[in-house]
Amino acid sequence: MSDLAGTLIPIVDLRRNQPRFRGLEAGHLACLGCGQALAARLVTEAAGPDVVVANATGCLEVFTTAWPQSAWRVPWLHSLFENAAAVASGMEAALKAQGKSAKVLAFGGDGGTFDIGFQALSGMLERGHNVLYVCFDNEAYMNTGVQRSSSTPHAAMTTTSPPGKARMGKRHLKKDIISIIAAHNIPYAATASVAYPSDIRKKVRRALEIDGPAFINIHSPCPLGWGHDGSLSIEVARLAVECGLFPVVELERGALTGTMPLRAPRPVTDYLKPQQRFAHLFQNDPRAREELEHLQALADYNIETYGLRGERPDPLDSAGADTVRRGGVRWA
Amino acid sequence: MAIYTRGGFALPETSLASKTGTWRLQRPIHRHSSAPCHTACPAGEDPQAYLAQVAEGRWREAWETLVAANPLPAITGRVCDHPCESGCNRGQYDEAIAIHNVERFLGDQAIREGWAYPVTPPSVNAHRVAVVGAGPAGLSAAYHLCRLGYQVTLLDMLPEAGGTLRTALPPYRLPREVLAQETQRLLAIGIEFLAHHALGRDVSLDELCADYGAVFLAPGRQQGREWSVDGRVPADLHTGLRLLQEWVAVGTIPKVKSAAIVGGGNSAVDLARVLRKTGAEVHVITHDALPKLGVPPEGAMKAIPREVKQAQEEGVMFHEHRGIQRLLLRGERVVGVEMVHMKKLPRPDGSIGIVPFEGTETVLHVEQIIPAIGQVVLAAGMERILEGSPFFAVDLWGHVANHPGVFAGGDARKGSRGTVSGAVGDGRRAALAIDGYLKGVATVEHHTEAIPLESLNLNYFEHEPRAEEPLLAVEQRSGDAEVAGGLVEPQVMAESLRCFSCGMCLACDNCWTLCPDQSVLKIKELASDGSHYVFDYDYCKGCGLCARECPSGYIVMEDELLFAGRY
Repeated sequence: MSDLAGTLIPIVDLRRNQPRFRGLEAGHLACLGCGQALAARLVTEAAGPDVVVANATGCLEVFTTAWPQSAWRVPWLHSLFENAAAVASGMEAALKAQGKSAKVLAFGGDGGTFDIGFQALSGMLERGHNVLYVCFDNEAYMNTGVQRSSSTPHAAMTTTSPPGKARMGKRHLKKDIISIIAAHNIPYAATASVAYPSDIRKKVRRALEIDGPAFINIHSPCPLGWGHDGSLSIEVARLAVECGLFPVVELERGALTGTMPLRAPRPVTDYLKPQQRFAHLFQNDPRAREELEHLQALADYNIETYGLRGERPDPLDSAGADTVRRGGVRWA
Repeated sequence: MAIYTRGGFALPETSLASKTGTWRLQRPIHRHSSAPCHTACPAGEDPQAYLAQVAEGRWREAWETLVAANPLPAITGRVCDHPCESGCNRGQYDEAIAIHNVERFLGDQAIREGWAYPVTPPSVNAHRVAVVGAGPAGLSAAYHLCRLGYQVTLLDMLPEAGGTLRTALPPYRLPREVLAQETQRLLAIGIEFLAHHALGRDVSLDELCADYGAVFLAPGRQQGREWSVDGRVPADLHTGLRLLQEWVAVGTIPKVKSAAIVGGGNSAVDLARVLRKTGAEVHVITHDALPKLGVPPEGAMKAIPREVKQAQEEGVMFHEHRGIQRLLLRGERVVGVEMVHMKKLPRPDGSIGIVPFEGTETVLHVEQIIPAIGQVVLAAGMERILEGSPFFAVDLWGHVANHPGVFAGGDARKGSRGTVSGAVGDGRRAALAIDGYLKGVATVEHHTEAIPLESLNLNYFEHEPRAEEPLLAVEQRSGDAEVAGGLVEPQVMAESLRCFSCGMCLACDNCWTLCPDQSVLKIKELASDGSHYVFDYDYCKGCGLCARECPSGYIVMEDELLFAGRY
């Protein structure tokens, strides 16, 4: 029974009667404040219940399905690290052959998407399967102990890109996955951030309405791997968008069709400072200053390339898109 | 039960068997903190609470919440200096909520719809309490005593209730119809009103003390302060309050070409505007500053800033930081005054003195000089309690020292700021204290700190301009027509939706949406009392995301050890 607010409804019934679809249930083993768990919950909420999911190896697979339990309330299949897109392709073909109309989702982390599962993903896009592939981008191999991936941002510390005498964190740049995906000329590719839940829902629905392959990359902070408190996950994700380091955009058939404008771009240091993985950039070291300038230049480049600077306040810009109202209207 | 197959296999939502709540070191809880509008309100209103009800379209409940503290919202919504809006956290973000307009709208709506005050008539055996003075303090005390189940007799020397509201507030600020309707509706809850009853003439204080369980004295300040410049007084001297009362009562005022009013309170400004309507050239001389941004309240004129602004619009000339040093008399007739720059400054001994600056003297040619420097209590009938002092010395609850059973408040109280809302609050607190006195229990103060802006998450709000009420054009302000026009329903609704809901659930779904562990559960679709969501502590891992992202500061994290044994 719930012991609060004087309610006498058994909490189990309360859980069953929530006015939204619960695709990913409680009891999963994600860390405190896990951005990926939240993002996966939001995606399945918007997509479900009529979906099947193929999941690549990664945190999401591990923490949702500690055998013999599962936190999923949708048909869900895990095979390997590299083949989520291939499995999803097969599911879609099989459903089509049976004349069924369930939507097919493929889930992967940045490791399973940017690196290991990339060729399977490219094949799925090229063959035009009607699948929505969602990448939960937490910018490193968190499940195996924070190794750098091709999604890890420049200058970030991971266990395989430690700052030291030779380097200030990761030497290389974050792979521009959305441009590569869009280059497949697919109908819908987008980026989103866990700090903007209604934007995620809107994009999931939009992607599922389209016939053909769709891709969404969701920026999902990892408190453990990034080195910030679990309570800061939304704050950090929001700052990534607001500084321009993580542009929120939509590309249809390779053409830019939507951006989330920045009302007042923040300096990248606002985003970097709360995170331990960038702590070495705040040392009194000329190389650190250079890397900070480099990251600022990358953010400025994003703002310029995608035209992110808003001309006037907009209800859907980085400051307006998360506005709340009594009654929860914004989450419609 | 585990099912063994060649591949791993599990049934849906079987993870619910993993009670991840055991990981928790901190738990989120809902904690209602006082909104700054509430702590700032001298009458004790909680605007956040009724704004939430307005936002849900529950107009009558909103009015009932409002009158649980202040029975005169149609009046205070018009004449209060609204410290709630000065306290409003939104004021530091864009513009404060127009709370006084919401209050006024609800008060007017109750009158229009005939909503009855939520009071059950007291039983015939109930204790009897006497209240002297039917101004805002007396009316408030009588109402709250009635709510607490007492039989109340309210005495006033005038033929009608209202006190200073009736005798000294110009109708363009408070239409007489509104005053009459609200006071009549209030008296109709079962208060025995004895008009034409002056203390010391028709009834003595000793008689009241003998016949009633307790007495609340709220006679206001009826006696003008003595005023002179170096002992010299013009022959035709009238105090500002007297002139104002005369104008309000009979509608006439001695016609002069020019006048200087000394003082910076509401009476000074009201009188200035009334004189200005007759076509006179009017100067207001005050040693305080004009109210504007950056001037601390203790250094500014006591008058309500918006009234000062309207007076300026109408052509009243203000001379701030000035005092009168000498009267220019021809015989006993005033032909002008000598003004000098003055400022309140700390003296070497630490006290505050008003210092004139030599060499800054100027002459102002005026026909009349009117002091409006405040009043004192008219002692008639209360001499043995006042003991020669100009005001009642009372504690927060209105207890008159050494006179058990006698309480006092309103303008007559020492230290009163002379506002209607302050008087209403005095009446309310005295009613509680009288209740405690008659039951033999001490009345305790629940002091709460207001939740600061820093405890809110402003990312979730958007800048939205405040609704401004229409004001009568200056050239139309000659008669009794009300200057401030009030807001209409959609504007009041919009204002309620601008409220940050400081310290109380906004019912915005943010925690429900952002919990990575599906551990915030919604229990109803609409709620303004904080009962919208519950935490499922079986699964909540205590990450603190909900508390961090709560827009209104209603979720706080508590150390889990505090709950040991309760979990």
